[in-house]
Amino acid sequence: MATVRGCNLPDDLYYNVDNNVWARREADGTLTIGMTAYACSLAGEIVSYTPKKVGKEIEQNKSVCTVESGKWVGPVKAPVTGEILATNPDVAGKPGTINADSYGSGWLVKMKPTNWDGESGALITGGAVAGAFETKMNADGFGGC
Amino acid sequence: MNETVNTWRLLDTGIRRAAENIALNRVLLEARQQDESPNTLRFLGFEPCALLGFHQSADQELNLDYCKAHNITVQRRITGGGAIYFDTAQLGWELYLHKRDLGTADMSAISRRICEAVARGISTLGITAVFRPRNDIEVDGRKISGTGGAFDGDALMYQGTLLIEFDVEKMLRVLNIPAEKLSGKAIASARERVTNLADLLGCVPSREKVIAAISSALADEFKVQFESGDLNAVEDRLYTAALAEIDHPDWVNMIALPAHDRPVRTAARKFGGGMLRVNIAYDRVQRRLKQVWFSGDVFVSPRRTLVDLEAALRDSLEDKLASVVTDFFQQRSVDMLTLTPDDIVSVIKEALGNAEVAA
Repeated sequence: MATVRGCNLPDDLYYNVDNNVWARREADGTLTIGMTAYACSLAGEIVSYTPKKVGKEIEQNKSVCTVESGKWVGPVKAPVTGEILATNPDVAGKPGTINADSYGSGWLVKMKPTNWDGESGALITGGAVAGAFETKMNADGFGGC
Repeated sequence: MNETVNTWRLLDTGIRRAAENIALNRVLLEARQQDESPNTLRFLGFEPCALLGFHQSADQELNLDYCKAHNITVQRRITGGGAIYFDTAQLGWELYLHKRDLGTADMSAISRRICEAVARGISTLGITAVFRPRNDIEVDGRKISGTGGAFDGDALMYQGTLLIEFDVEKMLRVLNIPAEKLSGKAIASARERVTNLADLLGCVPSREKVIAAISSALADEFKVQFESGDLNAVEDRLYTAALAEIDHPDWVNMIALPAHDRPVRTAARKFGGGMLRVNIAYDRVQRRLKQVWFSGDVFVSPRRTLVDLEAALRDSLEDKLASVVTDFFQQRSVDMLTLTPDDIVSVIKEALGNAEVAA
């Protein structure tokens, strides 16, 4: 687990740092997608979550869901291209779960990647995670989680 | 010492249909995100319309029969927050920026900075407007500009409405806000919560004067100058596709939730200082207080306290009710005679436990 400025960033996940999103590769090759603790800290309490429909094909860097906090609305973007396999009904009923457990029960969608090998190389994982987020937080003028 | 002053674009797109304005929101944000647009301040006006927040449902938030009968268009914003009524007597303002120009990615800090600057601009017209967290600009406790934002990558749009003149009765008829049943009392009650430049100044300021005031304040805040411009070729091209999507029932009805999931609940109780009534628009699914509306004749000083408490309680989770109210009263000095913060919590809880009334 990497911790940068108080934000947990598990180093076994794959990150698109610019989009502040993580992907976990499950044993069956599917992906679980979510917001980083850093993204949650910037947003504040999330009050709404509207995912794209199950079955929809989402291109890399296109929105898998839209979230709202403090009257700000924005997309959470797919780290790789894939089909939406599942959305999270618990988060739909209680969007604050995203803040409370961003790497666990606060997951946003599950996806079946269409070109993991081709697209995942651009994602950050392992020992590179802490440095990449430190650079981003510095650029964002971020104080800490 | 000479400093280079950055130039941002000033757009004035005049009065348009709601779909056209929302499509332009989408286009200008997307083009900014693609670095195809400069930082931009846009002023806009609307033909009469009811604008839903991005995650809202028309059935829950609006009196659709009234809207239809009075040719009030229903549209969905790309920003968050609550439904609003908009007509030609209000002015919209919007900023399209890159996060690097703000020095922070913290959303609440960005809201505050922009709102405080706009409030300073409005104040130069001869009133005292201030930012009220989380997203309002108010004058003496009454809202004059509601705001909200949207982001896409490192680009963001922050927008607000400024009430130049305002028909409070029409607002009460269009929106399902948890006020008293429409009456003189309800209108008076609404006037305690919203205000407009014409009422405050005793005359209707010109649109040009208001635009100049806001532009000047934002120019000072961001150390830039504004230069009038038009949509560029990329934006023109994106606009056609965006309008086709936005000007369609599928967009407006993208979120369709049953009205019974957002009931209005109410309770009233007599205290030593008078009667306190509370109406609550309640999100039954999330167990969240969407909007709270206090009324009655209970003594509270300063008088604006209960309206400020309404703002603090907006979107609160039911299980955090007591802590929100406690925190609120710990931060200010209030005279309520024998009424206590716990009494207020108790009346709200009673309302939440009561059988619902029609939304």
